[in-house]
Amino acid sequence: MLLAVRHSTRYLYDQPVRESVMELWMQPQKLSHQRLISFELEIEPAAQLFSYADTFGNAVYHFDIPQPHDRLTITARSAVETEPPPALPDGLDRGEWDRLKSDFVRGEHFDFLHPHGFAGPTAALAAFVAEKNLDELRVRDPFRALLDLNRAIYDAFAYEAGVTRADSPIDDVLKARGGVCQDFAHVMIAICREWGIPARYVSGYLFTDRKAGDRSDPDATHAWVEVFLPSLRWVGFDPTNNIIAAERHIACAVGRDYSDVPPSRGVYKGEAESELAVGVTVRKARAAVSEPEFLRISQPTPKPGQRRAQYSGLAYDQQRQQQQ
Amino acid sequence: MGAAKAKGADRGSAIDAPAVPYDEMRDADGAVRPQYASLAARIETLSADELAERQRTLERFFLLQGITFTVYGAESTTERIIPTDLLPRIISAEEWKIIEAGLIQRLKALNMFLADIYSSQQILMDGVVPRDLVLNAPSYQREMQNLFVPHSAYANVCGSDLIRQPNGEFAVLEDNLRVPSGVSYMLANREASKRVFPGTFRGAGVRPIDRYPDLLLTTLKSMAADWRPNPQVVVLTPGVYNSAYFEHAYLARLMGVPLVEGRDLVVHDNMVYMRTTTGLRRIDVIYRRVDDDFIDPLTFRRDSGLGSAGLFNAYRAGNVVICNAPGTGVADDKAVYAYVPAIIRYYLGEDAILPNIETFLCREPAQLSHVLANLDKFVVKAVGASGGYGMLVGPHSTKAQQDEFAAALTADPNNYIAQPTIQLSTGPCLIGDEIDSRHVDLRPFILSGEKIVVTPGALTRVALRKGSLVVNSSQGGGSKDTWVLTDRKDLQP
Repeated sequence: MLLAVRHSTRYLYDQPVRESVMELWMQPQKLSHQRLISFELEIEPAAQLFSYADTFGNAVYHFDIPQPHDRLTITARSAVETEPPPALPDGLDRGEWDRLKSDFVRGEHFDFLHPHGFAGPTAALAAFVAEKNLDELRVRDPFRALLDLNRAIYDAFAYEAGVTRADSPIDDVLKARGGVCQDFAHVMIAICREWGIPARYVSGYLFTDRKAGDRSDPDATHAWVEVFLPSLRWVGFDPTNNIIAAERHIACAVGRDYSDVPPSRGVYKGEAESELAVGVTVRKARAAVSEPEFLRISQPTPKPGQRRAQYSGLAYDQQRQQQQ
Repeated sequence: MGAAKAKGADRGSAIDAPAVPYDEMRDADGAVRPQYASLAARIETLSADELAERQRTLERFFLLQGITFTVYGAESTTERIIPTDLLPRIISAEEWKIIEAGLIQRLKALNMFLADIYSSQQILMDGVVPRDLVLNAPSYQREMQNLFVPHSAYANVCGSDLIRQPNGEFAVLEDNLRVPSGVSYMLANREASKRVFPGTFRGAGVRPIDRYPDLLLTTLKSMAADWRPNPQVVVLTPGVYNSAYFEHAYLARLMGVPLVEGRDLVVHDNMVYMRTTTGLRRIDVIYRRVDDDFIDPLTFRRDSGLGSAGLFNAYRAGNVVICNAPGTGVADDKAVYAYVPAIIRYYLGEDAILPNIETFLCREPAQLSHVLANLDKFVVKAVGASGGYGMLVGPHSTKAQQDEFAAALTADPNNYIAQPTIQLSTGPCLIGDEIDSRHVDLRPFILSGEKIVVTPGALTRVALRKGSLVVNSSQGGGSKDTWVLTDRKDLQP
């Protein structure tokens, strides 16, 4: 499937800011079933782009804008050719659980087996697992158990934007029983790791197909989960849409949780309120890629107890976009 | 203290601490050890008044130099003069040879360990050090993985805490590979003791330490890229409120390099510059005295105002060098410490020249129950803490304190280690107008860049309260000059 993505991010500041420094995890990965045809980044005001590969092998781009500016826009355009992943079996044998316990698997995937940031055990998670009898799913082989878990999370939570934020802990989504793809991914990752299955967070895009029953927002970035099964290697599960990640999914970056791979993160200097708007379009290629509209204006609401520093030497954390 | 002595009678056999600490000045028969002969003879000739006068001279020197430190959490004044003892601690040439060889061996192995755990992780694959101990340590920085560090010198400045055991052997109590401090006191104590004992100092053949700032600068410059022939070095300080600010300023002055704060730096196009009155000037090497978490709000703690955003990416690209490298703390972690002898054997195929103190890891259930059963005899330390905070000295603790630690240990065993209470050696100190014995430790400073160099001197810290074993300046400790004597054989006839 030939897909073209246009991902626009715009920061508006009510006062000029300076010395913005930003990192981007926006380039689609180069994989056997995902060929990156082109990738372009456009920064306004203009800036010199640099890149590096992070710990997890993701391509990270970064830049700085020293001069005062009151807006910053980032446009990432990519074209990707995806193929369906190798056919999956209906199930595996239960010996797969033992293969997961091997020293090699546990050593090689150490980072994806331990709690990190948003994706870790909490009392609310334990209560949720008990309430839905999720641990009983483990009588089946790991692959079937994961399919059931994917469905259980899909069934238990409503897709609802605005309930949670980019920096919400999983307790928020567990309490509200509603949230967006980022939250569902964190819940699934936390449970997989409790089960001893390596699981990682995938940030990317989805070519949304409403007819197929997709419920995620077509105008936002997407996030899902990849789990490692020794017999199948990495397999993508998308609990937002109760599907296996396939040729409509475009993966950009993998990490332990959202905080490892936000589409953009940065800091700036200056006393200003910032306003973040994000627009994403994913289209079948060869059709014209239309300009996306800025759909959601997220107004920052200062969190209680989080005051800005009084002096201006400090760098302020840039707002981050939630993955939906 | 009386309670502690009474308890001493029923100490368990496994962790029996010999009752008699090693005396630095006198042997078991009460005879003065050779290295102390000239000092002991000089003291004999001085009256109490003369000693007190010299002590006042010493304190005036520190006051005039503005050599102060901060005690966090103390109610009174925040800036204090560090209590300094008049009488130097003296180490013979033979003893120093062992210390020096042991420290070089240790730092060599620890740098190899850091290079390994931030690249192929062979030592973890081979199961010599438990993987989760390293990879789950908060001080393990994944950003450092597969980065090129010149000469594999991760810990450019290391300050190791040594103690002398009752049998006279030196052992390593702690490695400090993050941002060790105290070297300014080593230098200042020397300046002061030259003034109060000028004749004895000249006659004793004390090895000089005043090359330290030069050696530090050479070490830092050796970390710069080859194609930067005249690298710009700076000292990065958190600012005037930091407890070691004096030291930051002192070292910058002695090296003749700028002292900067995070707000003086700017990162542009992956290069680091400092703001000067004549514009931006490129920086090559940053001797940072700011903790890992605070050096770059983009990569590490996002609420930090002490560093500079983008600094780490410039480092990653090789456009600037940060000394010590971020992530060195994982090698001085108190739980990893227990594995250092094995680390030395693994990389160098040698036995450790300087032994470790026996250490119980509370993460191991069997060791935890042993520690819990003997809390009144152990020194318990939080793995992540330093500076004598979060620590229980069993024999000097109350039942309430022990109960508090027992609860903490049970709740979070991974976070604690325990060591038998070691009787630190004692040395003569001027207390009031009398000479009395106090417990001392030894913090030498090791530099590693193109090569590893140990300065022949150290900071000797003193537990000024009688009987106390805690020497940290933040816990009422003081310091004194340390004389390392020249080997007479090395002298020209």
